[in-house]
Amino acid sequence: MNSLRRLGRIVIDSVEGLGRASLFFLEVMSGSRKLFRRFELVVQQVFAVGVLTLLIILVSGLFVGMVLGLQGYNTLVKFGAADSLGLLVALSLVRELGPVVTALLFAGRAGSALTAEIGLMKATEQLAGMEMMAVNPIERVIAPRLIAGIIAMPLLAALFSAVGVLGGQLIGVGLLGVDSGVFWSQMQSGVSFHEDVLNGVIKSVVFGVVVTWIAVFQGYESVPTSEGVSRATNRTVVYSSLAVLALDFVMTALMFK
Amino acid sequence: MIQRRQLELWVGVFVAAGLLALAMLAFRVGNLAAGGVNNPYMVQAEFNDIGGLKVRAPVTLAGVRIGRVSAISLDPSDFEAKVTMELDGRYKTIPSDSSASILTSGLLGEQYIGLDPGGSSHYLKNGSTIQVTQSAIVLEKVISQFLFNFASKSGSHSK
Amino acid sequence: MSDAKTERGTGEALVEIRNVHFARGNRTILDNLSLTVARGKVTAIMGGSGCGKTTLLNLIGGRLRPESGQVLVDGVSVPVLRTRDLFELRKRMGMLFQNGALLTDLDVFENVAFPIREHKRLPEPILRNVVLMKLETVGLRGACNLMPAELSGGMARRVALARTIALEPMMVMYDEPFTGLDPISKGVIAKLIRELNTSLGITSILVSHDVADTCAISDYAYLLGNGRVIGEGTPREMQESSVAEVRQFMGGLPDGPVPYRYPAPDYLDDLLQGVRT
Repeated sequence: MNSLRRLGRIVIDSVEGLGRASLFFLEVMSGSRKLFRRFELVVQQVFAVGVLTLLIILVSGLFVGMVLGLQGYNTLVKFGAADSLGLLVALSLVRELGPVVTALLFAGRAGSALTAEIGLMKATEQLAGMEMMAVNPIERVIAPRLIAGIIAMPLLAALFSAVGVLGGQLIGVGLLGVDSGVFWSQMQSGVSFHEDVLNGVIKSVVFGVVVTWIAVFQGYESVPTSEGVSRATNRTVVYSSLAVLALDFVMTALMFK
Repeated sequence: MIQRRQLELWVGVFVAAGLLALAMLAFRVGNLAAGGVNNPYMVQAEFNDIGGLKVRAPVTLAGVRIGRVSAISLDPSDFEAKVTMELDGRYKTIPSDSSASILTSGLLGEQYIGLDPGGSSHYLKNGSTIQVTQSAIVLEKVISQFLFNFASKSGSHSK
Repeated sequence: MSDAKTERGTGEALVEIRNVHFARGNRTILDNLSLTVARGKVTAIMGGSGCGKTTLLNLIGGRLRPESGQVLVDGVSVPVLRTRDLFELRKRMGMLFQNGALLTDLDVFENVAFPIREHKRLPEPILRNVVLMKLETVGLRGACNLMPAELSGGMARRVALARTIALEPMMVMYDEPFTGLDPISKGVIAKLIRELNTSLGITSILVSHDVADTCAISDYAYLLGNGRVIGEGTPREMQESSVAEVRQFMGGLPDGPVPYRYPAPDYLDDLLQGVRT
């Protein structure tokens, strides 16, 4: 009976949390209308979440592409289809690995930093201070960060995929001897812009919304102590990783029927 | 704290690089460059069986890509597949008695439409229909036909 | 209507708290509290930790709403204000937070400029002069290029004070302005609070549990305990009060109406229990 009650409490709490997060999202979105006049706030945050995440994205993309080149070659060569290596690398990256791995890295690098930053601003009364200066922290602090995350994520995912394809080429063409022309032409004839590239971009935009939303919400809702902030940071990474993977499944099922 | 100008410069570099990567995915990795058709005109053709033909499949003439499939539907009156193609406006002088066949690139590759030019002095224009068509070769049908022929041949031998 | 009129007309009370009740969950924090803050005066609100002093400031600032009772600031009832009006009111009242609450990603100059940039459209040279004047008021014009992390606690609070008065408010609420400061910094802050009050006529609400420093600069003092006012008067009257609670607090006596011991079962029983089991 007691465990049943606990289960009920967990369900009610999570539904309530989802409701609060949704209302928060609406509030931030309505607060972000004023950002058109103050776009420099968004630019600053694009620097924080985008430029500072760039290096890890580029390096990871390169390695993921190189691994795909190696693994793909070893498998394809068994079927005498090593010519399709470019196609395999590009499709894997553009459809799945680009958006998903970028979102996971983004959650770990930028998402956790966002949560910690907002949480600390709350703990050190900076948000309360803004309120008392008649400045709405939702508009001034949260909204630019959310918008910046939504802008940065698709760009990062595109960079990840592009660098990954180059990494795959480096291994496939440079090391394993697949013909460069075949590598690219197979890729071009097999990768559809509308079905593959565009759907990958849509995925990464959705991930950008979800990961940044979770990050700013956890920061804003965190208990304003050092322990509370560290737990909120932890939750950001866990929740956004799970959300990204689950949403990826749903979107893949809808997009690539 | 990083200077504002420097920060904006970095963000500019980042956004430009991201857009460049998107462009690369679209044109170099994807088929956007190949998929564009300039001021197209529509031509229709009916096939008994289109096999695995998909929307956006290429339309070629003498192996050169001149357009793409823009829509596929079923004609309910005669149960034929109605394929609408958009052809590049540069190629206005395709004879109206040309024939269309559904071909396969390589043994198991994707299917596309190949046009064979006829000899008429009239040209295909927007809304015309290609009369002579050849359906897709469906592998199962070919094999079963082959087996059937083989069986009936060996049957006649034994007689 | 006429009530509000007289409030404004007398010019006496800038802030008026009437029968305010506030609870968090089941815990009552403010219990039927009433007090007034006189216009142009330094009013101290003292009390032990967790007695609801900061809650009171948040009620006045409109960040919290009371369950019942009235909170009037300059004749306007704060809890019923719409967000836009509340923000307008907040531009006229400043609040100095315990640790300054400076924005850590901006330097000192930009911190002081922050409220001005947000609310007023001033040309850059004029803005610069306004900011430098505010910083000069707190004696930190020379520190305008430092980051908050490079400031000592006392300096951070002075910068925050400069930021608080940037919009030239009618009143400033000080939340524990002396906590964690060395004696010199304390003296500087106390001097600033008094100066701002006399030279600019800023009404000050000083929340603190620091008896000596607070009494030295305040005109009137309230002592809160258990969510109610347990003593009020001028600092001198408070120090000579005959009420036991007030005397314990003002004198810093370890035992009195606020017991030294946290309620516990009988000492001997407690010890013997360990032996028995």
